[in-house]
Amino acid sequence: MAILVNSETKVLIQGITGKSGLSACADLLDYGMQVVGGVTPGKGGQVAMGLPVFNSVRELVAALGLVDCAMVNVPPLLTLDAAMEAIDAQIPLIHIFAERVPVLDTSKILFRAKEKGVRVLGPNSVGAISPGEGKVGSIGGPNAKITFSKGPVGVISKSGGMCSELGSMITNAGFGQSTVVGIGGDLLVGTTFVDALEMFESDTQTKVVVMFGEVGGNAEIEAARLVAVKKFTKPLIIFLAGKFAEKLPKDTALGHAGAIVGLDSTMEQKVASIKKSGAILAENFEDIPGILKKVIK
Amino acid sequence: MKLYEFEGHNLFSKVGIASPFFVACSNMDEVEQARKRLKFPIVAKVQVLSGKRGKGGGIKICTNEKQLNDFCRGMFGAEFSGEGVRFISLAEKAQIEGEYYASITYDTTLKIPFLLFSKSGGMDIEEVKKNSPEEILRFDINPFSGPDKTNLSKKLKDETLADFLIRLWDAFIRYDCRLVEVNPVAKVGDDYLAVDAKIILDDAGLARHRDLDVLQKGSAGAIPTERELAARKIDEEDYRGSAGSTFIEFGGDIAVLASGGGASLLVMDALSEAGGKPSNYTEYSGNPPREKVEKLTKITLSKEGLSGCLVCGAVANFTDIYETLAGFADGLAEVKPKPDYPIVIRRGGPRQKEAYEMLEKLAKKEGFDIHLFGPETPISVACREMVRLSEKFKSSEKGQAFLQEVSKVKA
Repeated sequence: MAILVNSETKVLIQGITGKSGLSACADLLDYGMQVVGGVTPGKGGQVAMGLPVFNSVRELVAALGLVDCAMVNVPPLLTLDAAMEAIDAQIPLIHIFAERVPVLDTSKILFRAKEKGVRVLGPNSVGAISPGEGKVGSIGGPNAKITFSKGPVGVISKSGGMCSELGSMITNAGFGQSTVVGIGGDLLVGTTFVDALEMFESDTQTKVVVMFGEVGGNAEIEAARLVAVKKFTKPLIIFLAGKFAEKLPKDTALGHAGAIVGLDSTMEQKVASIKKSGAILAENFEDIPGILKKVIK
Repeated sequence: MKLYEFEGHNLFSKVGIASPFFVACSNMDEVEQARKRLKFPIVAKVQVLSGKRGKGGGIKICTNEKQLNDFCRGMFGAEFSGEGVRFISLAEKAQIEGEYYASITYDTTLKIPFLLFSKSGGMDIEEVKKNSPEEILRFDINPFSGPDKTNLSKKLKDETLADFLIRLWDAFIRYDCRLVEVNPVAKVGDDYLAVDAKIILDDAGLARHRDLDVLQKGSAGAIPTERELAARKIDEEDYRGSAGSTFIEFGGDIAVLASGGGASLLVMDALSEAGGKPSNYTEYSGNPPREKVEKLTKITLSKEGLSGCLVCGAVANFTDIYETLAGFADGLAEVKPKPDYPIVIRRGGPRQKEAYEMLEKLAKKEGFDIHLFGPETPISVACREMVRLSEKFKSSEKGQAFLQEVSKVKA
């Protein structure tokens, strides 16, 4: 079954004529995805990678029918306008790739998306892949078929690199993945750890979930709370990165915009709430395959 | 980016939020000049980015010149909360009738901005939250329309105060802030003044405020280091991918060139756990062009006394490993003196094999001590190997120095 994306998912790409849009498009087609077309304002009527280009999402939908996912592959300061178009056209899933989208723009996007009942993945998200079924975004790049394999493990990470790292590690340990979700490393994101866990809970293919947590924010604590109140009942393995940063002054921002030292919760509070909740804390990153072997009997 | 209080007031003045008249000074001459424009009592406040200035003795109400001069002389250049004092602001003491608290920031769970207001100003808001939470009013904000002014006026029973809060929202959205906080908001006559100003700008929003007149700040301190400024410039000049926008000095002897926001945290943790002392934290990601990695390599390896270089990241999705590591090789070739310390590289992803073939050839040709690890080697193993090689390098270096000493003595 998997979550977010499957073999039926139809995709459009906003910014399809740009460099990042084109390369994402090539990887998607290579993975067998149904990319129906793309949008670049002012370039309607052109063809990109054999696909029709439209001036707006509305025009594309009028011509080709509704799609399941709009991938927003435009620069950060243009992301607000592009995402608004997709939301107003009520595309059910909107993936936002850009890093450095201003927080104000993100909060507007997420506010409007909520009103319209649209799910946003990102910003600063590498995408999501249900191995053997389909993918959205740039996850796995050209190597998606080697890195990921089909199976029972759900994976959630803010970091795109760690999605691939975990996929590759879990695949090499002999387990496949149901869906690997890059939720994005920004301060505000449309799909949080909790949202992804709720989807994994009702997905029959997923037997266990691995989560890569980071310094800063409350997202890991909220995930632990979900386990504690039995709204997520499958085994959950969490690894936390960024312990070294606890010595830095409060408010120091690291590689991800949301990885801010001292924002909301400390590492210690995260560790304590995970341990108390019944979720499994992986002390070392390489412990994850061993824990998986114990959990999946 | 955190702002100094005086920078915050300057920004507030653009949206019509007034503060008591103040002058920001950076030396005793300026204090002397400023004093002539102010009447005693004068409130002298050190300008530092870390809070708790009141409790820490960074704010003094001076009633005469001697008090003022003694305070300023003692504070300039001194350390306050681990930060060097570069500026002191001098303000006339206002006749305050009431002190309130106001702030706007983002709720990361609800994903909207929200405003907090409390009648208990001038004290730590965390204390108020703990001891008398009923005194705090919260208003959730629609990011398109802003706070509802009618509702604010009704709840606060004060139109001028509601107006002040609307201006605060104006500053929040006009300058892409992550936080605006005024503690205290002072009631002076019929008006409200911002007696303090704490502002954190959203770094992602800085691109649309190039004209903003604020001092550059460090990632982990008020004053950015030279290497930090140089690294930051790489992204400012080229928007493709990111390289070096965060560069933090750690003072150790192993240079770190990590990849990815998440993996870089894992790398630093693993290196520290293995007993290594990182010289710095920095990362590149999102498929930056070759030249950007070249520049960042040169900056990262520009320090003397290094005993290792760790280039480490996860299995990349779409970052071209050949291009980025070719950038590393380009940078390495330009570092003077030529690095003789061990270099450990751990990566995976598109064109990784080609990249490693290129690096093997380079190591052979130029005599670099490069150790290559693929995705089958865990990040922590590569970090431990880095520490082992660096220790070996240091002991052989010490050995060399010892032998040189011995031969000198003999001669």
